[in-house]
Amino acid sequence: MTRRTWNLAGLLLGLWSMVAPGLLAQAPAPTKRSIETYTVPEVTLVNQNGAKVNLKAVLESGEPVILDFIFGTCTTICPVLSAGYANLQAKLPVESAKVHLISVSIDPENDTPKVMRDYLKRYRAKPGWDFLTGRREDIDKVMRAFGAYIPNKMAHYPLTLIRDRKTGKWIRLFGLMSSSEFIEECRKDEVL
Amino acid sequence: MSPRVLLRFRTLRCWTLGLCLLVTAAFATPPPQSKVTDKPIKVSGLSSDKALALGERMYREGILPSGEPMQAVVSTDIPVVGTSFSCMSCHLRGGLGSWEGGIVTLPTNGAKLAQARYWKFPNLSPEERQSMSLKVAPQARPAYTDETLAHMLRTGVDPSRRELHYVMPRYDLSDQDMAILIHYLRSLSMDLSPGADATTIRFATVITDEVSPEDQRDMLVPMNNYINLHNQLSKGFGTRGYYSVDGDEMIGAYRRLSLSVWKLHGAPGTWAVQLQAYLDKDPVLALVGGLTYGDWKPIHTFCETRKLPCLLPLTELPVVSDSDWYTQYFSKGYYQEGQAAARFLHQKGDPASSGRILTISQDGAEGAALARGFRETWSELGGEAAVEVQLEKGEVLSPSRLQAILQKEKPVTVLCWTGGSSFQALDALAGRDGQPQVVFMSSRLLGSKVYDLPEKARGFTWLTYPYRDPKEEPNVSKYAETLMAGMKERHSPSRIATRTFSMIQVLKQGLMDMNRFFYRDNFMDRISMQRDQVLPDYLRLSFGPGQRYASKGCYIMQLSPGPKGELMRMSEWVIH
Repeated sequence: MTRRTWNLAGLLLGLWSMVAPGLLAQAPAPTKRSIETYTVPEVTLVNQNGAKVNLKAVLESGEPVILDFIFGTCTTICPVLSAGYANLQAKLPVESAKVHLISVSIDPENDTPKVMRDYLKRYRAKPGWDFLTGRREDIDKVMRAFGAYIPNKMAHYPLTLIRDRKTGKWIRLFGLMSSSEFIEECRKDEVL
Repeated sequence: MSPRVLLRFRTLRCWTLGLCLLVTAAFATPPPQSKVTDKPIKVSGLSSDKALALGERMYREGILPSGEPMQAVVSTDIPVVGTSFSCMSCHLRGGLGSWEGGIVTLPTNGAKLAQARYWKFPNLSPEERQSMSLKVAPQARPAYTDETLAHMLRTGVDPSRRELHYVMPRYDLSDQDMAILIHYLRSLSMDLSPGADATTIRFATVITDEVSPEDQRDMLVPMNNYINLHNQLSKGFGTRGYYSVDGDEMIGAYRRLSLSVWKLHGAPGTWAVQLQAYLDKDPVLALVGGLTYGDWKPIHTFCETRKLPCLLPLTELPVVSDSDWYTQYFSKGYYQEGQAAARFLHQKGDPASSGRILTISQDGAEGAALARGFRETWSELGGEAAVEVQLEKGEVLSPSRLQAILQKEKPVTVLCWTGGSSFQALDALAGRDGQPQVVFMSSRLLGSKVYDLPEKARGFTWLTYPYRDPKEEPNVSKYAETLMAGMKERHSPSRIATRTFSMIQVLKQGLMDMNRFFYRDNFMDRISMQRDQVLPDYLRLSFGPGQRYASKGCYIMQLSPGPKGELMRMSEWVIH
């Protein structure tokens, strides 16, 4: 590379650096979005009321479904994901109240129905948001099925999955979203 | 890369970095400028203690002095109330922050806020930086003043004009509430806790006077082996520090360890006074391990009152609490077995229609804990209360006594929280009309007698078993022998040596994660942020903020027929 090319590259990077921090400072880093096909495993999980839930039946019922992976004593990511769920519920128009929010525990040993009930209460969850736990083997199957497997819960990452009712495919959103970004995604995918 | 290319690359890097810093600064809202002050903002109309108490509630529970939840915005535009998650959720109780899922939560404790933060070696004190000639290293931010701290909490912009990550909530606080919160933050983990100095971290372990010499040895040998091993290594390290996997964060963190044995004598009611005398004479950072045959409650209460951590005492009679904080247990002990029986029954059918349940428990704390574990869990699951019969002190459950109780109560399920002395009564049950369908017993209460369960009773007797499947245990327990040098009997049924080994593994990780921030609350925070551990005895030990019982599981087993009956798993490790 010539000296001129180096200088030009430096200038361009410099210009980008002028714009980027200003932009990035205003909004969360853009989420990584992809369309995926997942095969939901045949597992029975347990919800916050202690009721058994056939995951496949719930996820593929035809109703709008959004899925994330959290745990009850998580420090940083889950509270923000859950604040997003709570905010979405608060903003849902009455006619869209059928959207089913599902959080699957990645700490199934500690997340008993009672822990999950208390968690949902803290976020002022309304009916339509279920927190599911189960056998560790089953939870592992679910995480693997959605490309979300982590062996150590402290190293998990923010992931939101929206099911496209028409195609049965999933919109995979990697990263934490702002409220407007989340609602825009839901509109785009006709969940709202 | 040739030297010339390298030079160009460095020039480019400097250009870019310079521009980035310049422009980031230009875009961010400028924070108020004022001199660093050591004195926190005065909280008008409140005593310091009152302001601290109110600030603590804001920090831990997200509740304003008015009693209303704190209001904030997270991720740019998501409103959130403090009662959903508070400062403590991410920064942890000691305020030293956390790392989770790729997001670093910075320290927010008094000592750190009062110092400039540097990109390189952020854990060094100003004096150390000076002595290492690092004072000119680029700053991430200057020390916070009360004004810049308030500005950051409201806008997310720190005193270097850098905007913090959007997961940091931006708080809507009045001036008075802000002053209260800052007053608390200034005091949080400000002075190091007693028990650690420039060379040594001191620990103690508690042993009560009824504990046999053999059991004392089983705990103390692995502990002393570990301490000696650690201190031998420290001769090489001194306090010079070493490099952790991810860089330079461990500078100055290395310390020798010491272990005192605090022997408690006499009635449990006198233990608090004895413990206080020990602590006054020999301030330790934390208690580790510990042995008593009775209830751990007096020691638990002392630790809670004195805010003294206690790591993994070897007790089956812990305090079961959702909110107590300073003792990390292996499990809920006997309580957890009762809990497992309730969950297993619930899983088998609707609690409301599962028939009459009878609990027979032997006199003493063990039977009471088993009964309570079942009672509370069964009630939470919606089951009808069991009929409870408690045997007299020293009473053996004879066949005639059992028949009399059964004829009166006619239960479908019996929880027989007694020892092996009830086997004769169980044997007599087999084949009788109207016998209960299921009998539960505690394998821990039965001890090695579990394998003597009468042949005829094996079909209807379910055993709560709070450890790893014995068939799978030897491979894992072998690992523990690394610290059992000098012990003849390495795997006693009491599992004292192996559990001590597990405690040491958790302690080692905790010490590493605590770094040089020797605050008692930080010690507990670091223990709770550990990843799951696969160690002897329990199938899995798992942690998390506020989680205080590391093993959450308990199998339901049955004993196979024959003279060499084996335990067979009839349930998952954790039953939901």
